[in-house]
Amino acid sequence: MGLAQQAIYFLLHPNQLRAIIQWKVWHEPVHRRDPSKETPTEKSCFHYLNLTSRSFAAVIQELNPELLMPICLFYLVLRGLDTIEDDMTIDIKEKEPLLRGFHELMEKDGWTFNGNGPNEKDRDLLVHFDDVIAELKKVKKPYYEIIKDITIKMGNGMADYALNAEHNANGVNTIADYELYCHYVAGLVGEGLTRLFVASNLANPKLLDRMELTESMGQFLQKTNIIRDVHEDWQDGRRFWPKEIWSQYFDKWDDLFAPENREKALQCSSHMVLNALKHAEECLFYMAGIRDQSVFNFVAIPQSMAIATLELVFRNPAIFERNVKITKGDACQLMTESTQNLRVVCDVFRRYARRIHKKNDPRDPNYLAISAQCGKIEQFIESIFPTQDPKKIAADRRHPNDQPGMDTMDAIYLVMSCVAIMILVGVSMVGVAWLMGANMEKMVRGLDQALGGSVRSPAPIANVPGRDEL
Amino acid sequence: MSSEAKPSLGSVLVIGGCGFLGHHVVRLLLRDYTCSVSVIDLRCTRNRRPDPDGVSYFEADITDLDRLEAIFSQVKPDVVIHTASPPAQGNDKVSHALFKKVNVDGTAAVIKACQKTGVKALVYTSSASVVSDNSSDLINADERWPTVRGKDQTEYYSETKAAAEELVLASNRAAEAPKLLTCAIRPSGIMGEGDTMVLYHLINVYRQGRDNVQVGNNDNLFDFTYVENVAHAHLLAARALLLTAASKTIPLDHERVDGEAFFITNDSPVYFWDFARAVWAAAGSPRGTEHVRVLPRSVGMVLGFLSECFFWAIGKPPTFNRQRIVYSCMTRYYDISKAKRRLGYKPLVPLDEGVRRAVKWTLEQQEKSKAQ
Repeated sequence: MGLAQQAIYFLLHPNQLRAIIQWKVWHEPVHRRDPSKETPTEKSCFHYLNLTSRSFAAVIQELNPELLMPICLFYLVLRGLDTIEDDMTIDIKEKEPLLRGFHELMEKDGWTFNGNGPNEKDRDLLVHFDDVIAELKKVKKPYYEIIKDITIKMGNGMADYALNAEHNANGVNTIADYELYCHYVAGLVGEGLTRLFVASNLANPKLLDRMELTESMGQFLQKTNIIRDVHEDWQDGRRFWPKEIWSQYFDKWDDLFAPENREKALQCSSHMVLNALKHAEECLFYMAGIRDQSVFNFVAIPQSMAIATLELVFRNPAIFERNVKITKGDACQLMTESTQNLRVVCDVFRRYARRIHKKNDPRDPNYLAISAQCGKIEQFIESIFPTQDPKKIAADRRHPNDQPGMDTMDAIYLVMSCVAIMILVGVSMVGVAWLMGANMEKMVRGLDQALGGSVRSPAPIANVPGRDEL
Repeated sequence: MSSEAKPSLGSVLVIGGCGFLGHHVVRLLLRDYTCSVSVIDLRCTRNRRPDPDGVSYFEADITDLDRLEAIFSQVKPDVVIHTASPPAQGNDKVSHALFKKVNVDGTAAVIKACQKTGVKALVYTSSASVVSDNSSDLINADERWPTVRGKDQTEYYSETKAAAEELVLASNRAAEAPKLLTCAIRPSGIMGEGDTMVLYHLINVYRQGRDNVQVGNNDNLFDFTYVENVAHAHLLAARALLLTAASKTIPLDHERVDGEAFFITNDSPVYFWDFARAVWAAAGSPRGTEHVRVLPRSVGMVLGFLSECFFWAIGKPPTFNRQRIVYSCMTRYYDISKAKRRLGYKPLVPLDEGVRRAVKWTLEQQEKSKAQ
């Protein structure tokens, strides 16, 4: 967008501008890294973090110092893996051992990789991976073990998919396959993060007993991305929407994008949104287990963005034509709201659940199920932050007079007191005017004359001090 | 489910077993349980099972204690499911007298008969409306909410349901018959095959082309419950009471079923007008929401008042009134955790499937009556 265009846009959408300014001006990070005390390899790690991540770089750098470096490195290791997996110029025979053995490579001092194709956007990270390895050596043992464990699982999962993709170019089939894929690309990351949060005592250890909550956090984000990116993935010849869902609407995947099939395609997409929305309550439940503000911000921001994105893509035909994303202003407002507390994040979820429900269309086969799912989210929020208190309701009923309410007598009293106050104000204004020297007699006389004149005017007094009129 | 796996309920007597809810209770008893089934109803011609099902039918007025006792002595029920209640329609002296007679006096007679003939378990169909004052919101209400009684209760029907529920729960382990265990089921917004109220009215609204107005902002959640799920909850409760009766110790407070009331819903509150539109869509409406005009609640209240004045002037009961507006703008949904925990309740049929079945039945009935 050009500058002039942007100016006009913000003129027409002042709330967006306000949200951006609010975030930029008023957001105070809980923690700030201190570059003056950092080693050159640390600095290099943050350099690559900023280079490779659009959405996570900022929140990671505001993390509690205890987890700042471990999570930054965790991110870079996974990004390294991803850069190998994504690169279609690397032959599968070379790729597979790299993915499966990455946890060993990342322990080799000075290991770097320059086998990525020249167009691979994050190739620099692997070219300088020795800096990451140097920093990994300094990570506390329990944290390092978690990072290594997830790297093993993720590397093997990616290798399996890479081999599978060679054989099967048709994409994901069942909903179970779809969720397994989301588990590998997002659920595992979540698992590692939850273990890091608990190991550092920044989250409730009970989260480890309820790993399905962690899984939902990852599923919710990944499914949202997959729905949003459907057009881009289609153009790249990839398909992540499970056949089990889209085959209920189409025989051929490509038909989803034909302009004449828009209504059907929207129904299919709302089926996908319904499937993603099922994780919302567990995400809120998970966030209730976070004990540290910086960690809360770190997990809450992507979740709020996800529910807002689901609302944006819900019944939005544009997703079949281009890439859609939430506006900068909305993103800033969501970030402001996600860096407060669970209650504010719950308000965000409720707000977007209601917007989704407002866009719902009765002709959609999933109409009532979507309405019920939005209702479930609202009901879950009520269960954590109840609006009503039965004890108070019972007490109010026992003493009905204490209840704030307005019957006829109340209304009469209210009107009477208003009139009384107006008279009081009027009288005191006249009194003040008189004290300040206003000529009351002249006014009374004027009034009298207007009414016919019965007051006899006293003898005119010369040289009256003060002013004649006010 | 094989017949060995079906739990046993002994001899079961369903009062009101030809009614809307009652005949689904009978159907589920035959489908999911091992038991002998008897039915008491005012008339036993409608919703009657075919003879091979082996259900015994008795015609009786439940306020007639002598007649009840005679049937109870003959059937010797272990379990009594009391679903009988007149339709909650009408606000005049005659219907009030009927509510009182059937709901309160009738239930008192049923309790007496249970106590005199050694019944083990009595499950009473109460109503989720017993905690509603018909104007305030009920937001995720559970069993801790107080019942609304006396002058606070503007619907006399709910008053009589609450009074009867109180009688039933007071008779649990009472001195007259310490072995009798009782509980109450409070369903919210029952709908399904056999329903002549909720869906019937909604489909009429659509037929008359009045589906183009929405009163209020439609952010209010409401609990509707498919009838089979309600019937299922009754039978889970009956089974829990029998298990309690068979054990030597009194259960801990947090596990108790006897002497307790339970809210029952489909566990999926939906926005009020969404439910209506889902019904209309199932009834064949091809429309979305583009044609809908939103009427603020306050405007609706004024129109309702004018309608009441008009009908008062012509001396007829109003078909449209302020209470209807209040209901359509009210939030009214329940937390059923207690039933899930203590009864092991989970809806058998999801809400959208329930709506599909119920609308299909209603349309078939209307076709039939047209053909006649």
